[in-house]
Amino acid sequence: MKSPVVEVCNVQKVYGKKGGNQFKALNDVSFSMQEGEFVGIMGPSGSGKTTLLNVISTLDQVTSGEIKIDNVDITDMGQDELSDFRSQKLGFIFQDFNLLENMTIAENIALPLYLQGTPAKNVDAKVMTVAKRLGIEELLQKYPAEISGGQKQRSAAARALVHEPTVILGDEPTGALDSKNATSLLETMKDLNDRQNVSIMMVTHDAYSASYCQRIIFIQDGKLHKEIHRSSTRELFYKEILDVLAQLGTKNA
Amino acid sequence: MLLKLSLAGMKGKLKDYFVLLSGLVMTISVFYMFQTLSWNTEFIKSNAMIRNIQLVFIVGSVLLSVVTIMYMLYTNTFLLSLRQKEFGMYMMLGAKKKSIKKIMFVETMVIGAASLVIGITVGIGLAFIVGYLLAGQLNITLEGYQSFYLPAVLATFVFFIVVFLFTALINHIKLSRVQVLQLIYSDVHPDEMPIQKKKNSWLILLGLITLCLGYVSLIFMEQLREIGLFAAPTFTTLGTYLLFIGYLPVIVRRIQANKRWTTKGVTSFTFAQLNFRIQGLTKILATVAMLIALGAGAISAGLAFKNSASQMAEMMNVYDVVIKNPNAEEKAILKSVHFTEENQYRFKEDADYTYYLRDDLDNQRPLLLLSDGKKPKFKRVTEALPKGKISLREVKNPEVGQQLSDEWARALWNLQTNYREIKQTIVLDAETYHKIQGQEMLMYIGKSDKFMDYLHEWQEIDMLVLEKEPNLTADDLTSKYSFYNMYSSFTSGTMFMGLFLGIAFLAMMASCLMFKIVSGASKDTSRYQMLRKIGVRRSQLSTSVYKELFIIFLFPAIIGLTHVLIGMNMFSFIILNPYYRIWVPIIIFLIIYSLYYVITVKLYKQIVLPKE
Repeated sequence: MKSPVVEVCNVQKVYGKKGGNQFKALNDVSFSMQEGEFVGIMGPSGSGKTTLLNVISTLDQVTSGEIKIDNVDITDMGQDELSDFRSQKLGFIFQDFNLLENMTIAENIALPLYLQGTPAKNVDAKVMTVAKRLGIEELLQKYPAEISGGQKQRSAAARALVHEPTVILGDEPTGALDSKNATSLLETMKDLNDRQNVSIMMVTHDAYSASYCQRIIFIQDGKLHKEIHRSSTRELFYKEILDVLAQLGTKNA
Repeated sequence: MLLKLSLAGMKGKLKDYFVLLSGLVMTISVFYMFQTLSWNTEFIKSNAMIRNIQLVFIVGSVLLSVVTIMYMLYTNTFLLSLRQKEFGMYMMLGAKKKSIKKIMFVETMVIGAASLVIGITVGIGLAFIVGYLLAGQLNITLEGYQSFYLPAVLATFVFFIVVFLFTALINHIKLSRVQVLQLIYSDVHPDEMPIQKKKNSWLILLGLITLCLGYVSLIFMEQLREIGLFAAPTFTTLGTYLLFIGYLPVIVRRIQANKRWTTKGVTSFTFAQLNFRIQGLTKILATVAMLIALGAGAISAGLAFKNSASQMAEMMNVYDVVIKNPNAEEKAILKSVHFTEENQYRFKEDADYTYYLRDDLDNQRPLLLLSDGKKPKFKRVTEALPKGKISLREVKNPEVGQQLSDEWARALWNLQTNYREIKQTIVLDAETYHKIQGQEMLMYIGKSDKFMDYLHEWQEIDMLVLEKEPNLTADDLTSKYSFYNMYSSFTSGTMFMGLFLGIAFLAMMASCLMFKIVSGASKDTSRYQMLRKIGVRRSQLSTSVYKELFIIFLFPAIIGLTHVLIGMNMFSFIILNPYYRIWVPIIIFLIIYSLYYVITVKLYKQIVLPKE
């Protein structure tokens, strides 16, 4: 029996002051994610998918409800605890890579380890292992400005993985990549998920990227709209996703 | 219409404009403060102890102008960067480049004019306040010093109008070359590469050589004279810039390469960030080092002149007071002073001679001053006094006279209270002494533990002496205090200039460094945000900022203070010991500098670590 790594319970997120012009970005959202799952979150612009990712990644706080990651409730933690939690349990991949341009790739990847106080002698080995896994061991001594977008995103993925987090959160990780690089990154993520049992949650609006997931949660207007599981090939799943998106579109219209 | 739009755009960036304007105002007011002294030749000539003071001011003016121009060019780039995106948008909507250029020109000139008016006003205010406070503190009257000085206003005006026109022209050219798209995407930067320059060995070598030349001319200023006065600032400045440009990035890279220090927590980022930024900071840091050297140097020189008065006094007299027949009033004052040594000698006098009692001298041997020209040293008189019965007739005979040893001759000479009645002194045995007709009197001498602590008492005693002997004037007195008083009135003008300029330079230095760091901060914001996202505590980021800026602040302080320590040599021909209590100005400087550091960190943190 797999245990849930992320549990979202009746989460609400309201922007704006009480009595003023309020906007419910998330309205009573609940779902859970098991260890080793590859979950996609989809929805049209303004549906609340980024807000959902932000509250799960502890960058934003919920108005009400509960979020547990690795059985720890993150909704009543202080800022410092949250920082530590992020640095230990979560790995991030952002759309615009967010590598530090003033550090080499190796230093970028090693950063989460340094933050946890890993002894310097262990760091190099760990960086090398994860770099090999992502096929970027040749780039370690380069600076972000010297490598391509696809390579940058792989480096960012390596940084997200190096400290073996409970879950990796991706915010449109393929958004800034061309199709070839995007496919390559998605294959890698899938591979990590299949073989290393890494739990991944990814926000995307691109059906092709989403088709690599095992399960997709659709949200619209801050509410869970639908959930679909992949049962057969990726191609069929892709069509299924497009159907749901079409549905969402017509409902909107 | 476009003008209206652009004004609205300016409103949105009020905070940045405030930073810009305050930087400009500071520069202008400091420039003006300097000019008030520099153009007031009558004042500086009559108040300075340095013969070539005019030359000092010319060299100072040149240095300040160079620093100012560099600073203005930098602020101008900042001004343009504030507006680029907006201008791009106007052009995309169809505004002509010509009108954009016009707006930019008008804006540069309006900001220039505004900062000029405010700057000169602030400058006049500062010059008045600083002048007033210093004069009050130092207890001096400043004759001829004017905080509002028309030639200085004009000079400042002309200089800055030219500089503003020049910068406006640069903006004009920059805008002519640039494409619309470049403007629109001006705030989207591709990832920058940390510049990995090869070791500039020749640059470092050249820097070292020029700096050594500069130091040599500072140390041998007395021999080199006018040549030294030009060579010292030229070579020192050049060497400082070359070393900062060539060597500083190397040092930072070395530190970063040390894995033991830089792999703990967020320090790896701190040093990467430092390494990344240092290349762009070298010139401004060199400028800051020079301003520190000038500012702290001027303050040290001012204080050294002040201190030199008491030192000079210590070199003149061993005993703080020498009183003939102290009366009740004088005794009362003497009681309030803590003396380490008090001697009283009985003596009698007639029209030509002063007769001292040998036993008193023998029992209370006085101290003598042994001077090596730098520090006062004391020696007690050890030589013998004339022995046995002394024949009055013999010692009064000009052919024979009394043969006193050198030490005793000097010791007795020191028992004078004024220059008017110098009589020949004779030491007599008790028997002969008592036979002398006339009233017996007392010569009192006293040495306190601290001459400077009792200035008020010494002054009163001198005044009482003048009351007792109405035929004497203050100039006739040989007291230690009268000498101190005379010397410090010479030095106060020089001291005033030193402190005044020192404060001005330090203000300019702070403004330079703060402006550079704060104006570049917005570019760093994204990096700090990213670190925050991946789980770096706010307190860790804050520590990182403190560390990074500390190192940035550290280098110019070290170099600047080294310049001061070596540069003080150049005053050794006019001040006894220019290094006397040098730690006082250094501590004053360090306190001011730390304050700037803390303020800069706070401002920087406000920008890169917004409140949550």
